[in-house]
Amino acid sequence: MGTKNSYQNRIELVQGTLDMLLLRSLQWGPQHGYGLVQALRTHSGDVLQVETGSLYPALHRLERQGWVRSEWKQTESKQRAKYYRITPQGKKQLLANVDRWQQMVQAVGAILEREPEGSDA
Amino acid sequence: MRPWVLRFARRKDELHEELRAHLQMAVADRMERGETTDEARQNAIREMGNLPLIEDVTRAMWGGMWLERVLQDMKYALRQIRRAPGFSVTVVVTLALGLGATVAMYTVVDRVLLRPLPYRDAGSLVKIETMTSNGGSPLIDIEEWQARSHALQSIAFYDADSSNAHLAFIEGKDESTQVAEPHVSANLFPTLGVRAAMGRTFLEGKGGAVREEDAHTLLLSDTVWRGGFGADPHIIGRVIRVSGESFTVIGVMPRGFTFPYGIQRSAVWKPIVPVAADMTRKGDETPRHDTIARLKSGVSLSAAAAELKGIQAGVARQYPDAEYRAHVASIRMQRYGDSLVNEDVRKSLLALGGASGVLWLIACVNVTSLLLARAAARQREIAVRGALGASRWRIVQQLVIEGLMLSVVASALGIGLAMLTLRMFEHGLKTQFHIYTTLTPNLRVLGALLVLTVMSALVSSVWPAMAAARAAIDPALREGATQSGTGRRQHRLRGLLVVAEIAMSLTLLVACGLLLRTIYALRHVPLGFRTDHVMVANMSIPNYKYAGRDLYKDLYGPLLGRVQHMPGVDSASLMSEVPLGQTFNIVFSFGDGNSSAVDLRRGKIRAKASGVTPDNQKVFGFSMLRGRFFNNGDTATSTPVVVVNREFVREYEGHEGDPGEILGTPLLGSRKEKQPVVVGVLDDERQVAVARPSQAEIEVCLPQVTPGSMFYEPAGMAMDLAVRTERDPAEMTPELRRVLREASPELANSTFTTMDQVVEDSYGSQQLAARLLETFGGTALVLCIAGIYGLLAYLVTQRTRELGIRLALGAQRGRVMGMVLWQAGRMLLCGVGAGLMLAYISVRLLHTLLYGVTAHDPWTMVAVTLMLLTGGLAAAYLPARRAAGVDPMEALRSE
Repeated sequence: MGTKNSYQNRIELVQGTLDMLLLRSLQWGPQHGYGLVQALRTHSGDVLQVETGSLYPALHRLERQGWVRSEWKQTESKQRAKYYRITPQGKKQLLANVDRWQQMVQAVGAILEREPEGSDA
Repeated sequence: MRPWVLRFARRKDELHEELRAHLQMAVADRMERGETTDEARQNAIREMGNLPLIEDVTRAMWGGMWLERVLQDMKYALRQIRRAPGFSVTVVVTLALGLGATVAMYTVVDRVLLRPLPYRDAGSLVKIETMTSNGGSPLIDIEEWQARSHALQSIAFYDADSSNAHLAFIEGKDESTQVAEPHVSANLFPTLGVRAAMGRTFLEGKGGAVREEDAHTLLLSDTVWRGGFGADPHIIGRVIRVSGESFTVIGVMPRGFTFPYGIQRSAVWKPIVPVAADMTRKGDETPRHDTIARLKSGVSLSAAAAELKGIQAGVARQYPDAEYRAHVASIRMQRYGDSLVNEDVRKSLLALGGASGVLWLIACVNVTSLLLARAAARQREIAVRGALGASRWRIVQQLVIEGLMLSVVASALGIGLAMLTLRMFEHGLKTQFHIYTTLTPNLRVLGALLVLTVMSALVSSVWPAMAAARAAIDPALREGATQSGTGRRQHRLRGLLVVAEIAMSLTLLVACGLLLRTIYALRHVPLGFRTDHVMVANMSIPNYKYAGRDLYKDLYGPLLGRVQHMPGVDSASLMSEVPLGQTFNIVFSFGDGNSSAVDLRRGKIRAKASGVTPDNQKVFGFSMLRGRFFNNGDTATSTPVVVVNREFVREYEGHEGDPGEILGTPLLGSRKEKQPVVVGVLDDERQVAVARPSQAEIEVCLPQVTPGSMFYEPAGMAMDLAVRTERDPAEMTPELRRVLREASPELANSTFTTMDQVVEDSYGSQQLAARLLETFGGTALVLCIAGIYGLLAYLVTQRTRELGIRLALGAQRGRVMGMVLWQAGRMLLCGVGAGLMLAYISVRLLHTLLYGVTAHDPWTMVAVTLMLLTGGLAAAYLPARRAAGVDPMEALRSE
């Protein structure tokens, strides 16, 4: 239980958005799993913590869909690691995902920002 | 399979390494941030979570997860199978027996009943028959049908009634090849929807017959083209000699084409060009043709038959002869495919197929019962797996895979058994069902086997699996649960299964018993001749070579002389057809005479005629009632003589009198100038089939059959050579063949057999059915006894503790034994009762096969019932004795 508390200030990822975030991160260049976790954490200002148990299934799923490719390479610290690279298909998929996400944000935003009207509600 | 497994293993390793790399980078990061090695390591591991679980979930993304599970289950199943070899072997052997029988029978059914005909849309081809002796119709009638029928698209005709009568020889440089030569109309090929593979078919003239200009043309089958002419691409237009006549080849038919269906593969088709007699309706003088027609699309068989019957009623009125008018008054129409299978054969095949199906069911029931017992015994293990988180579906899947693996092994074994069965019964199957191709399971049969396998796996494992998975986990886990057991419901279920098994076995055994009695009755029918040590050669005679010569003087006589002088030959004779030979039939009837009442009666006699040589009696040992048989004094120049049989005298005289009365009578109408005289009367004998009573027979002396006599032509169509010899037929055959070849090269094509085999073949379907049912019934009995034993042994084991307590409380050992035996007795009585009812209903399917015994023969029923009861009680005795021998102390202590 104690371990769980330390993550409480972090937001659990909404289902389905992980794929989009991973594809987006890979647009900056090929990256390995650990690098992706770090990148997502840093770029979200330490808010998003991707669980290993979600990350790898997601990466392998993306690879099976043909949206990313992988190859084994050496890291700067001479560690052999599996690097993922986004494919043209993946880029297309990302655009579609981002579009949908923005629509959703707008829709959700519109509902949240709406002032209550009338007293019946 | 292999590369896939390797790739899977490599990917698994890579995933493991990927996660390790992740962990190492995390540790390195943490150490950089100042944590100690141990701290960093611990924290990183904690942060990553359950690594094996992550690997599992990730692997699920590959999409091959189910396969991995299946592999896992298979590995587990293998372990289970190895752990209980007795159980596994029993299951496999039981299933293999059931599958083997079913596959063997299905192979035969497939060959005989479901064979695909090599014609377009063969389902709408119909055969039209009249009630005349060969079922054919004159061309003039066929033309009238063609003109008036609206239900039939086209009506074609052909002559090919008896396979032997239409044998021809293609003359080659050195040797002649024997072929079938059906004569066909030109519109036959469009009617069948088949075109020539090369060249063309016959030009169509009036009434669908072949035009005059094609009268000397010929179509070759693919087999003849390839075998006889080396697939010569320039064959079209070549002139070849067939049985002494020249024909121009105009076409080669496609590979696999044959017509009529069932003739030998090497065939040539000759044209039917109308002759003057074709346009008459003069009884037997008018050629009659077999008819095949194609239904217009959308027209039903019954509608077409009704229409044609109407037309035929009008056609029949135009016949001048009253008796003949009656023969053609009506027609029978059936699908061409159905016309190929005789009704009796179809029924006996379906009965045998049903029997093998029952055996399969028994096997499945037995296996279900076994698996049920095993599932009960494994309840604890299954409960543990359930408690560890296995889903019910997963448990069922695992048990089903176990069942599947057992049945895959069983089906491999089953195929082997099926091949063995087919080989064992090959001769019988081929002669009975006229199968000319090899009897190996084809793709369709293998497909059926696959379905059966999956079905038997499902039937025999799903049920127990469901029962096992449904069971509550909690009580099974508690100590001692195996003793309190699986509840009465399951015992009752298993009891019911055994009862069903007994009932089905009884049915099979009754059928088997009835056929054994039939065979016994058949074997004790006096045949009227000796069959031992007689070899038979069914000769194919190149009669075209002897046109204008005397066949007996130039071929038969010298050949017979040579055979009689072969070493080891006691006697040899020629005969148009050996008794029960079923190869060739000559029918003799008297002419019209002067139409007195006696002549009218005699005119109705249809006697089986055959030409024989004087030594025939030495070979076959027919017994003479009166007078003498032919002797060497009966020659071409002496008075013509005939020998008749008792039945002939009966019909000729019209009363049961002294058969000797007929001796010396000149027979009417056989020959105008020199009437043959009856010199002897043979006792009755079986000529056509063992089960068929003797029919009127008249025999003529072959040396007296000279060109111009009425028997000359038939005597040239078919002839059997019968040889009495003490020598081994296998050793004799090549020598005989050599002698025949020397007499005339074509005779080397003759087929050889023995008289014992001919008789055996004539028991025919009964013999085959009896042998198959013996096998099926015997297997069923064994399975059934194994089932009873298995259930009781299991129950006794389950009740060891209870029995121990009973004995400890003073129960008599005899009573305990009686209790177990009574349990078996109850099942046996229920099973026998149900089985007798089932048998009573289902043996009716067999009645066409039975001879000398009624379908509901009480003796058979009683004998079979007693046998099953004895077998069942014997099977129960061992467990019962074990129950009575339970040591109370041990039983209680073992808890």
